[in-house]
Amino acid sequence: MPLTIPRPFPLQPRIPSLFVIGLLAAQYLVFGLGNSPEPKCSINIERPHYSSYLYEYKKIDAIKLNITTKCNVPQRYTEITSSIQKIENNRQATAHKFESDRRYSKTKSPHVVIFEELYATCVKGSNVAYSGEAKGYIHLKHGQDYPIQGSSGKFVAVSCKIVAK
Amino acid sequence: MNFLEECLTLGDWLSQENRRALYKYFLRSNNGNYKSQANLLVTNGLLNKTIANGQIYYLVKDGLVNYSTRRLDSDEFTPVIREIKLTGIKFYDIIRLKKFFAQSDVDVIRNFPLPGLNPQSDSGFGINVYPYYDLNYYSDGKGKLLGLVNRIKTNDRELLNKLKGR
Repeated sequence: MPLTIPRPFPLQPRIPSLFVIGLLAAQYLVFGLGNSPEPKCSINIERPHYSSYLYEYKKIDAIKLNITTKCNVPQRYTEITSSIQKIENNRQATAHKFESDRRYSKTKSPHVVIFEELYATCVKGSNVAYSGEAKGYIHLKHGQDYPIQGSSGKFVAVSCKIVAK
Repeated sequence: MNFLEECLTLGDWLSQENRRALYKYFLRSNNGNYKSQANLLVTNGLLNKTIANGQIYYLVKDGLVNYSTRRLDSDEFTPVIREIKLTGIKFYDIIRLKKFFAQSDVDVIRNFPLPGLNPQSDSGFGINVYPYYDLNYYSDGKGKLLGLVNRIKTNDRELLNKLKGR
């Protein structure tokens, strides 16, 4: 009896591959883009501090304020108005108000904007308690504006008094 | 190194008072250059120039003039940083463009300074929201009338004299 070996037949995809790719793309468009995260942003205001860096490089006594904003989606820029508050005669007062500033995010880190140029000159000698505050908005890449506001928290004494110009 | 040369290297360390004084200084000392540049821009619709360590690209589009910029050693241009509207009245537009040029020069010097002793941060392009030619700058957005009053009170004479080398 002749031995018949069944011919193997290769599995043919029943659904054309292009159709599968199309389905995946449609799924991405419907569920991927539709479910982009809701924008959430935060502002971090560091406590105003005496800048030994400014003294080293510019030979000036100054109180510095560092501010960072972060979002879970890319931002185009952050715009803030910031100030250093002080306690004087048991009352809160503005020690220095900075110009309203806008800073664009970098291509490499589009979620973050850092303000590092905020400083006010001071005279060493007397202790003054300072706190930093800022208010503004973040302009997100897709066009929405996200309001932000914050403070560095409790007042901390620094041995340098900001002088009015 | 005189004070003006120093300002071109300060970048991040250029204080807001120094920047404002630089604007006023440029407006006066570059009056002729700015006028020629403004005429070129209005005629050709675009203008390229360099200042400090940056290149500025001005473009006229739909009755608006805008500028973007890049660090000289980079191919990456910033987004449009500022723009102003042209009125179509040439002599008035030239006056406004001169101010726009002085403002953009200061913006670029702040962000793309010449190499100097002071280390620079690398934290994205920063500008003052209200340009110096807008009275709102002097009132921080609280109106032009208050801005006018504050502008009269603002005295940059000492810094301007330093920039002039006096």
